[in-house]
Amino acid sequence: MMVAGDAAPDDAAAGRRRLSAWLALLALVSAGASLVIGRSSGGPTFGFGAPELASTILFDIRLPRTLLALLVGGTLGLCGAALQGLLRNPLAEPGLLGASSGAAFGAVLVFYFGLAGAESLALPAGAVLGSLAALAVLYGLAARRGDFLTIVLAGIAINAFTAALTSLALNFAPSPYAALEILFWMLGSLADRSLAHVWLAVPLMVPGWLLVIAASRGLDALTLGEETAASLGFDPRRTQWLVVGGTALAVGGAVAVTGVVGFVGLVVPHLLRPWVGHHPSRLLLPSFLGGAVLTAVADIAIRLMPPGPELKLGVVTALLGAPFFLQLIMRPRPGAAA
Amino acid sequence: MPDLVLLLAASLPSVASINLCADQLVLTVAAPEQIATVSWLSADPEESLLAAEAARYPLNYGSAEELLRFRPDVVIAGAYTNAFTRTLLARLGYRVVELQPESTVAEIESNVRRVADAVGRTERGDAIVAGMQARLHELATHRPAHPLPAVVIEPGSFTVGEHWLANELMTLAGLRNVAAEQGLDRWGSLSMEALLTSAPELVVLTGYRSTQPSLANAVLDHPALARLRARQRTAFVSGSYWACGLPQSLDAVALLQAAALEP
Repeated sequence: MMVAGDAAPDDAAAGRRRLSAWLALLALVSAGASLVIGRSSGGPTFGFGAPELASTILFDIRLPRTLLALLVGGTLGLCGAALQGLLRNPLAEPGLLGASSGAAFGAVLVFYFGLAGAESLALPAGAVLGSLAALAVLYGLAARRGDFLTIVLAGIAINAFTAALTSLALNFAPSPYAALEILFWMLGSLADRSLAHVWLAVPLMVPGWLLVIAASRGLDALTLGEETAASLGFDPRRTQWLVVGGTALAVGGAVAVTGVVGFVGLVVPHLLRPWVGHHPSRLLLPSFLGGAVLTAVADIAIRLMPPGPELKLGVVTALLGAPFFLQLIMRPRPGAAA
Repeated sequence: MPDLVLLLAASLPSVASINLCADQLVLTVAAPEQIATVSWLSADPEESLLAAEAARYPLNYGSAEELLRFRPDVVIAGAYTNAFTRTLLARLGYRVVELQPESTVAEIESNVRRVADAVGRTERGDAIVAGMQARLHELATHRPAHPLPAVVIEPGSFTVGEHWLANELMTLAGLRNVAAEQGLDRWGSLSMEALLTSAPELVVLTGYRSTQPSLANAVLDHPALARLRARQRTAFVSGSYWACGLPQSLDAVALLQAAALEP
């Protein structure tokens, strides 16, 4: 395998471009496959079925699902890469800041306790509010002592707190069936989403991405340490809030329509880091593309399963991602001290 | 008159059902020719009272894409069936009827009528509701003079509270639900201690997949519970009678009454 640090700078840049090009191609191929693979009561189907149903199946059912797989997966990959860079901690992932669990709790409240009825847009609205509330608490806790450790610890606490609130909601669920639906929501799914969900998520995701990308040079400077970065003219606090705010927006939008999809944000940056080296900024685009590919492939795998109720997306992303991840961390690394 | 039968069947809307409880109401109310598909759980005898009937129809797993292939005129769903699927089907122009879970016999009757109206068999719905009323009158004549304190224990030591269908069925059978008297609102778990101090005279067990090992079933082997069961009267009633509110739920009233009247 090629490790960026070993190659001459020009070769390395060309290598990174090739990596991104390959990942983009993979994303396109998996999107194409996602559009032609469906699922009926008898298991997977290929093509679009009867001619008079074809356009409905393609445009109203599979297209939203495919778009959301790419956008949500990309969001998780991008935010995971940025957070790992910001916190200089390999365990960082979007769930860490409480954005995911806050969004999940908001959705559960709205949806299963009839705060706003079962209309399709009420659920995402609740998720975004939950995500922003988690972020606001994080900001309130960490604003005065804005160091990274405080943010991580506060994020973990908020995460645990919102997860506990969701469990509490499970206890008070109006019926055992509602409790089951809440449980499924925590495992994520792309099934039966419509284009309305895409339009709901995109206005949150795109600004979120832009905020995160705006932090990319600051992230590179931070690899030299906070003081060095400050002396180079990068305000660590600005970088920090760009990444945290961007993540909350983008992940809030993602969780709002898919539920909690685990593992993508954690594993994708790790899988791609050996190709791009240790500059966080160079990891952002490949992680976005890689997250999109992993999520789309996982969602295709769901449809290829033998007949039965659909598996949940978070289950499959972990099943697919974990073996790669383990292989990666068990392999002896060149320059393992780094 | 086969032609007339075909004509009648053709005029009835075709129905797809995507929820265990909706399935069983559809199987009870709709004409066999108009049922396009029911969900997979309703063909499972551990879940459904009408498993044999359900197995005659194509089964679905409740996703929009597979339902499209059945081209139903009406889709019957539960209030807690995947909301994304319900919304998407409605968006695609399907008529989606959502049934609220039933916690009283009156709500069962109202859901029977809703399904009957949706599938174009209003008279059939009226007839079923009339049959339920007659059955209730008949059961009332056998009700024991003094309500017998009783408790339902489901796997996982779950029990039923006041505003839950099983509680109403117990009352109709002439039982007093001690869990409801202790303030349980709908459903929840009853601690062993609360159970023992409430001194039920009848313990109603509902077994669920009892041959498959699970933590929930292991709870039923708790020594305290085993002693209670050895001392008090025990009745077994399948949880399927009240997991969904159905006309057949009244069979549970008869079963509970028989257990209460046993010498």
